[in-house]
Amino acid sequence: MSSYARYARPALKSSVDVQLQTAFSDGNWNLVIRLADKRFKVLKDPYYEAIKICAESQLDGTADKCAVLVAIDELVRQKAAPDLDTLELYEWASADFLHGIDYSDALGPLRTRWVKANPKSPLAVQCLQSCLEYWDLVSAQQIAAALDKTYVNSGDRRYMFWSITLTFLLSISPQCSEQSRNVYCMLVLKQLERAADITENSAKLELTDRGLITEEEICLYYRVLLTHGTKEEFLTRIQSSRLGPLHQLKQGRKLLFWETLTALENWGEWDRIFDLCHQALSLGLEDETPSFFTCDLRAWKAFALAASKAKNEEAALGEVQNTLKKFISIKSKANAMYKKNISIALLETTFRLPKPILTPSPDHKGLTPRVVQISLFLDHCFDKLSAFDDVKDYVAQLSFEEAKAFMEQVLPKMLVDKPDKLSQVILKSLNCKLQYLLTTCPQMLSHHPSMVEGNNYQCRFCANLSSLPCQHCLKKIILEASDTYMQIGADKELLKSIPRLDKDPRLDLALVMGTSILKLAGLRQRLSDVDPSPLRNVNPGLFLQAVLLLDTQLRETPSDTGLRLLLVQLYLLLGCATYAHQLWVPMDVKRSILDALGPLFFDRITSISPGLIQGGRSFLEPVRMSYSTSLADNCPLRIWDAFSTGSFSSILSLTEYDSRLRRSCTLVMTLIEERRAIRCYGGKIDSEIDDLPLAADIVDSTTLVNKTDYGSFPNLESLHGLPIQDFIRLGPELSNERAHLSFLTEQYFDILSYKPPKDYRPVKSNEVAIRERNYILECLDRLSNSLTSFIHLPETPSRLTSPEMTYYSVISLLSAALLTGISTTKADPAPKTLQLVTSSIKSALAGLRASLTVSTPSSLPMGDVFFSLSDMHTMSYARDTALAIKHSAAFVLAFHEKEVARDRSGKSSLHKDVVAEMKALEVVSTKALGEIKKHVQSLKEALGEGGWLDRMLEWTFGDEGEAEDEVTEAVSDVVDGRGGAEEWAGKVLESWREGVKGWGMARWD
Amino acid sequence: MANFRRFRPDDLNKLSKCNLDPLTETYELGFYLQYHAKWPALFQVAEDQHGNIIGYIMGKLESSPDVYQFSEHYLPWHAHITAVTVAPEARRLGIGKLLSEQLETAADANNAWFIDLFVRSTNHKAIAFYKSMGYSVYRVVKDYYGDHSSDPTQSSEDAYDMRKPLKRDVKKEHVRDDGEKHEVDPSDVW
Repeated sequence: MSSYARYARPALKSSVDVQLQTAFSDGNWNLVIRLADKRFKVLKDPYYEAIKICAESQLDGTADKCAVLVAIDELVRQKAAPDLDTLELYEWASADFLHGIDYSDALGPLRTRWVKANPKSPLAVQCLQSCLEYWDLVSAQQIAAALDKTYVNSGDRRYMFWSITLTFLLSISPQCSEQSRNVYCMLVLKQLERAADITENSAKLELTDRGLITEEEICLYYRVLLTHGTKEEFLTRIQSSRLGPLHQLKQGRKLLFWETLTALENWGEWDRIFDLCHQALSLGLEDETPSFFTCDLRAWKAFALAASKAKNEEAALGEVQNTLKKFISIKSKANAMYKKNISIALLETTFRLPKPILTPSPDHKGLTPRVVQISLFLDHCFDKLSAFDDVKDYVAQLSFEEAKAFMEQVLPKMLVDKPDKLSQVILKSLNCKLQYLLTTCPQMLSHHPSMVEGNNYQCRFCANLSSLPCQHCLKKIILEASDTYMQIGADKELLKSIPRLDKDPRLDLALVMGTSILKLAGLRQRLSDVDPSPLRNVNPGLFLQAVLLLDTQLRETPSDTGLRLLLVQLYLLLGCATYAHQLWVPMDVKRSILDALGPLFFDRITSISPGLIQGGRSFLEPVRMSYSTSLADNCPLRIWDAFSTGSFSSILSLTEYDSRLRRSCTLVMTLIEERRAIRCYGGKIDSEIDDLPLAADIVDSTTLVNKTDYGSFPNLESLHGLPIQDFIRLGPELSNERAHLSFLTEQYFDILSYKPPKDYRPVKSNEVAIRERNYILECLDRLSNSLTSFIHLPETPSRLTSPEMTYYSVISLLSAALLTGISTTKADPAPKTLQLVTSSIKSALAGLRASLTVSTPSSLPMGDVFFSLSDMHTMSYARDTALAIKHSAAFVLAFHEKEVARDRSGKSSLHKDVVAEMKALEVVSTKALGEIKKHVQSLKEALGEGGWLDRMLEWTFGDEGEAEDEVTEAVSDVVDGRGGAEEWAGKVLESWREGVKGWGMARWD
Repeated sequence: MANFRRFRPDDLNKLSKCNLDPLTETYELGFYLQYHAKWPALFQVAEDQHGNIIGYIMGKLESSPDVYQFSEHYLPWHAHITAVTVAPEARRLGIGKLLSEQLETAADANNAWFIDLFVRSTNHKAIAFYKSMGYSVYRVVKDYYGDHSSDPTQSSEDAYDMRKPLKRDVKKEHVRDDGEKHEVDPSDVW
């Protein structure tokens, strides 16, 4: 069988007659069975019996299908070396079962046995490949070891490194028994130590020697050393003239250098980092023709950081500066990227210098070398797209005096020095971004005892009492940005020049204005775990202004993905899912980037607008399909490619990546969102969540990993605060805790919705009923324990929105209530805890219901409707909670009815208190559902009224005719007033209407 | 601002700066991992200070199957650039050139005769870029692309098969000066 095609029908032995061959290749299974049986009886060749079993496996009957498993089991028990052709047939025939049974208990050992009996056969490698495809590391390791032993003197080093790699993979795998683990750890280390010694001690290595020769082999050695060796061994070996990272660098190989640097950083070995980086960077200066090969920013940063941690810090930093000077002197020969790296390295080094060196003369207070270096850097790079990102972390480190000097002396001087119009607007735009950045830095505030509550700080720039960020400074920034924006728009010459620039300066100005207005609106990071919807406490008018302004800018610069991503998040926050989707689609997020980017749109989507996914799985189908394709096999994707080409470091990274992908929070999110959408519209869920192959590896102890990529978000914030995505998201990002709770909840619903097949008619119905009851109790017990432990993890509240926290708490309580209820029969004493649990459930539901009708602050010119439309998430979880309660109660009552009907003695029916509590829960949840349905209906009616466009514009700009405040005026200028905002208002309204329409079609029973 | 290193699978979680750009195609996971598995030294990335990938190059080493050995279109052992991309914010810094040079080094280390790549014949910017690095047109593959990048009335577009000789090709046997005059059909391209 060829790699990645194990489901292809195997070829029969050439000795098989044409008639049987044809029947087999045609898939005429009944004929194959008949012919194979005949041949077996005549020829007594067991191969024909195998063909027969193989053909039977293709029939519909369960017994026929499973015959192959019995045959495999028999082979395993025989202890003899099996026939390989028979194995091929059996492996193909049992392919559908191999996800369920352990390959390492069945076919793996058979293949191992065959290889041990035929170690020189070229087909042995095929056996290894097959074991790897099923990720049976135990068998694969044994086969590789057998091959290595067979070919030890052949000069073919491939088998040696396969054996070593597989021993290593096994030693770190859960497939390895604890007794064997130490043996494998020691074995792999010794094998590689021996190979390393051969390399060290041989005058000249031949390609057939069993030493370490290729970069891949050397890197494999270091990885093993890092995992199973001691730190001392690692530190000694990196000094090696043949196997050390410097030797590799000299040969143009950088991989080991990076891996060594990472290891040393993890250990905090700063002196060694200093030496390594010094030597590595100096390599480029050794030859007549300088090389910038090692001039990566990471190397420079590590060099400077290590110097700053040296005992003689000044001397070490002096050495860094000396090395830098040498590179600066030859900088003209460098590529633009390396020139930039060197310039940033200079900045980095300056920021590592000890404080006394940085003190400026009294005449130039604040103009420290740090400020001077930033200004020198910007002098050259101010017009580059990445200029702000390059300096922002350094600017955010400046003291107030330095920042003041920078903003009030350096930047104005640059404006004077660069009088051309284009440079002026670029610099003004940069200035606005830097001003905004400084509003996020706490050192720009000073403590100020104030009479006004909450204002205990004073902004050192504008002297106003403020908290972070300073509202006065934000307003000032908005006005300045707006002025520059309008200046550009009014100047034809400037507009004509913009396409020649790296970036339209108006985009940056709009971003500064937008984010400043969002902050003014009150959109900040969550202050507590019980915060209501992020928009409940914001000024809606300002929030809408920010969205409008950014949306207007997107029409000017539609290809800017950062702005697009920002708007997608803001529209999701606003409850405009369909419009967010329109903005999402052009980014063409697909295939391999879905795992990292999918959550930016799909996370919590069914709690905002399930209608988007209604009527099928079209939206989430590509996400699920990408996982189904990538995780179809048990083994990491492309692993055999890496084995066959000797890419040992790739084998390890592919294995790590595969393990991570199988534990992806995005994967769980996809499965959950799909099921929530289906359930919302009363659709049929195909299978229980546990039965999904993609969920096969998920158990309570699995750590689910979130790898959402926020790299493309525009981020003007300093490191002192949260990045922008953290305060414009509907709630906390994907997490292990949320993923597990949602997964367990689906398992809970699977219990509630389980229905035996229609044709299932047990003979011993009483016995079956008892077993069913025990099974349900067992499942509920497990679920209740799991839900309780995840709910009570200390991090959980910070990983969920408030409605989610309530919802999952209720599911946890329901599982406990059901456990108590179903286990308490009429004959048992009254369940004391049940009432406590149900009353907690009722309180939680009441809390959610109450939060739906939170009154609007009276000062705002809008009704509850804005807050309701932008908080469908709470409504969604109120509905889900009520439904979960209703279904749970119905489940218990149905169980009770069934028991009453089955057992006329009444002994096994449920306790009357249980029945009463469940009936009460049913009443409460039905009532809540009615209210929530009415809530949606009233939203629909409200949106159907006339005058909405005017109302939206009023919400955004205030009453027409009334004087606008200066921020509103600035926004109005940029978006071309109310007239310019009409189209946008229409889109927002339409999206709200579509969202509510989708909710209107949801099932409420 | 940038580090250059080999691709690792986790980089797929940091591709947004490159792959959200409409000019960059996103492939199936197996496609990226195949390059990482088979030719790890020819799959290089540039990352920014936050670990975001701001450029990458994917290359492979191959020759035509032996069965074509006597065909005039037979390709001997060579490197091929499958994809090269740089994020908008990192353009004009020479990152594409540095990545290509790294691939050349890896190809030389693997004793390849030349590096080749395909580019749309109307993509003058890219053609000029490759020419500046020593590539020349080896042949024109007629109607190689099933659409036209700039003229919607046309249903196809030619490709230039461009090559750069490597150290092994001392006599420059695998490049030609008048490549634009050599036209081949897509079926001739292996």
